[in-house]
Amino acid sequence: MGAETIVRSPIPASRLRKLQALGILCGFAAGAWLGGAEAPIKIINPSVSAVTISLVMVLGVFLARWSVPALVQGTSHVRNDVRQAPHLVVWAVLAGCMWAVANTLTIYAIRNVGLSIAFPLWNTNSLLGIFWGFLLFNELRGAGWRCWLGVWGGAAGMFAGATLLAFASSGQATPGKAFTGVIAALAAGILWGTMYIPYRKAYLTGMNPLSFVAFFTIGELVTMTALALSYLGAVRLWQELLSVRTALFWLMLGGFIWVIGDLFQQYATKYVGISRGIPLSNTNQLWGLLWGVMVFHELRGGSPRTYAEVIGGSILMALGAVAIALSSATGREHVSWQDAAEREGQRYGIEDDYVRASMEGRESNTAPSRRSLLDWLLIVGTSAVFGTLAAFARLPVVKIDAVWVAVLATAMLALLATCAITLWRTTRFR
Amino acid sequence: MYSVMLADMANDPNHRVRSKGLLANILSDIHFWIPALVLLAGLIILHKLR
Repeated sequence: MGAETIVRSPIPASRLRKLQALGILCGFAAGAWLGGAEAPIKIINPSVSAVTISLVMVLGVFLARWSVPALVQGTSHVRNDVRQAPHLVVWAVLAGCMWAVANTLTIYAIRNVGLSIAFPLWNTNSLLGIFWGFLLFNELRGAGWRCWLGVWGGAAGMFAGATLLAFASSGQATPGKAFTGVIAALAAGILWGTMYIPYRKAYLTGMNPLSFVAFFTIGELVTMTALALSYLGAVRLWQELLSVRTALFWLMLGGFIWVIGDLFQQYATKYVGISRGIPLSNTNQLWGLLWGVMVFHELRGGSPRTYAEVIGGSILMALGAVAIALSSATGREHVSWQDAAEREGQRYGIEDDYVRASMEGRESNTAPSRRSLLDWLLIVGTSAVFGTLAAFARLPVVKIDAVWVAVLATAMLALLATCAITLWRTTRFR
Repeated sequence: MYSVMLADMANDPNHRVRSKGLLANILSDIHFWIPALVLLAGLIILHKLR
């Protein structure tokens, strides 16, 4: 069988349906975990520098992004992926750099125009993601008008819902700084929307999301450390880290939870593409709102108009997500994806079976995975760091609703278990 | 660990052949330049906002 035929022969319809359903499930799980990651950050003293908060979170992200893959599959898979497609390391690091810059820009945006204006502006990343997916990776090609309507209509509905929710979440523009705030938020949206080009490139040609995130986090940590040092200086940064030592655990826990959400986002991108994966992950705003309203008593005593905005915005976002979830890629569209994969494979000399196996969500290498000493060192080391920080941690005096914490945490864990089991059964975490 | 991977790749004859044009391939790939230029623009905006 020729190389071209291997990649291009259509994937069986039943397998395609399974992978699409898996990707959509991962998108919803990503929304829940990315939204839940905001919870530990809400209990931190707001006087702490935003750059310091971001840096500590990224440290938690770094530890999680090396230990979770070690736990799930062992790092030998990372080595195999790099051997097959070494060029993707460049894109993974590039994406990590983009994330760090975008995240820092959002801090300026929130300070200058408030979350209410900033959030919907950077949520435009999903619209940009659909555009890049169509232009560069053949997404939505041959999809039919119903799919187009579902994806674009759903994304527009989610954008409108996000705008309503954000306006209900209070926040005012700092006088004289509105323009810079809007620019910062839009720039963050463009960076995050473009960051999905590396994501899609990696998954189209076969890299495992668990491998991609490991290198992504190197770019993220290096950029964030450089930004923190240039903004604060080494001495002030160290002093701030010491001043928040009892909160380090919560911040790094936020980073850890974020990684779980991001991993699901990566699997969603892999199996349903960026045009569907990003909008579904953007349901994180709904989960963030649930944590804020139910656990931290935000919006209590708000006006009827505020509640109407929250209910209307939530319904719009949910309807948009459902519209996208129902617009799975058809067989014809998937053939277009395979064309894009074939183009990438030829350009970088990637083995066809590796690309094909990745698109089908199966292993190209049938050798059983074994965890090495390095894997166990990563797992034990990360556990020790979190254990030590937990011993020093103090829970700030914040009024929280314990019942709702239990309800939301249970819902997140149920989604995690469902998604992990489905991923394992369908793809063995490929 | 990455250094071990690079050493493995250096000893792999197939990889040596394939990676001859790797850098040239990356630098001539529009998929690299779009994110790279957006990142550069983001850094400039961030610098101006400081």
